[in-house]
Amino acid sequence: MAYKIASERLGKIGDEFEPTDDVNIEALIEGGFIQSTSKVQKTAKTEASEQE
Amino acid sequence: MATSTYLQSPSVVINSVDVSDQTTSATFTRVIEQLEKTAFGSTNRSYTSGLENSTLTVTLYQSFAASETYATLAALVGTNVTVSVAPASGAQSATNPKFTLTGAYLESLPLVAGSYGQLSTIDITFTGGAYTVAIV
Repeated sequence: MAYKIASERLGKIGDEFEPTDDVNIEALIEGGFIQSTSKVQKTAKTEASEQE
Repeated sequence: MATSTYLQSPSVVINSVDVSDQTTSATFTRVIEQLEKTAFGSTNRSYTSGLENSTLTVTLYQSFAASETYATLAALVGTNVTVSVAPASGAQSATNPKFTLTGAYLESLPLVAGSYGQLSTIDITFTGGAYTVAIV
């Protein structure tokens, strides 16, 4: 997962945030300090079978 | 000549968030529990060292604004978190050591605490975790 800084309390806004193992990521997201930059992967569209 | 530390611009970081400008007081105490080893025949009590149980207590202005005190702490109650304090905000050095507790536990968070006409402040304590000090 990649994160972007959203508060000057963590660093420069917009910079990538690289968390260490001891960082509570959920708390930082919930507090609005970072944002996830990972896009949700869309599943491949499947066409309905014509044989049904 | 005696010298003293003058806490004018210390650095206080909680879960990577710099809360120095919300902090009015910080007390970092290194604690290693004492275990009594006094036995029959002793003429005085004696002790040996047990587990480390250091604490960091900070006083913060309470604020519910974005990116401030409540936003920093709300999700940390009941969790383990890394906290650090340095006497000054500059680079860490032998004269500006950075004290850290990794995996300290935040048991409680006062939500509303204050008096009429006064700025609201809260005291919180982080307990336990692994103690380290960095000087370079």
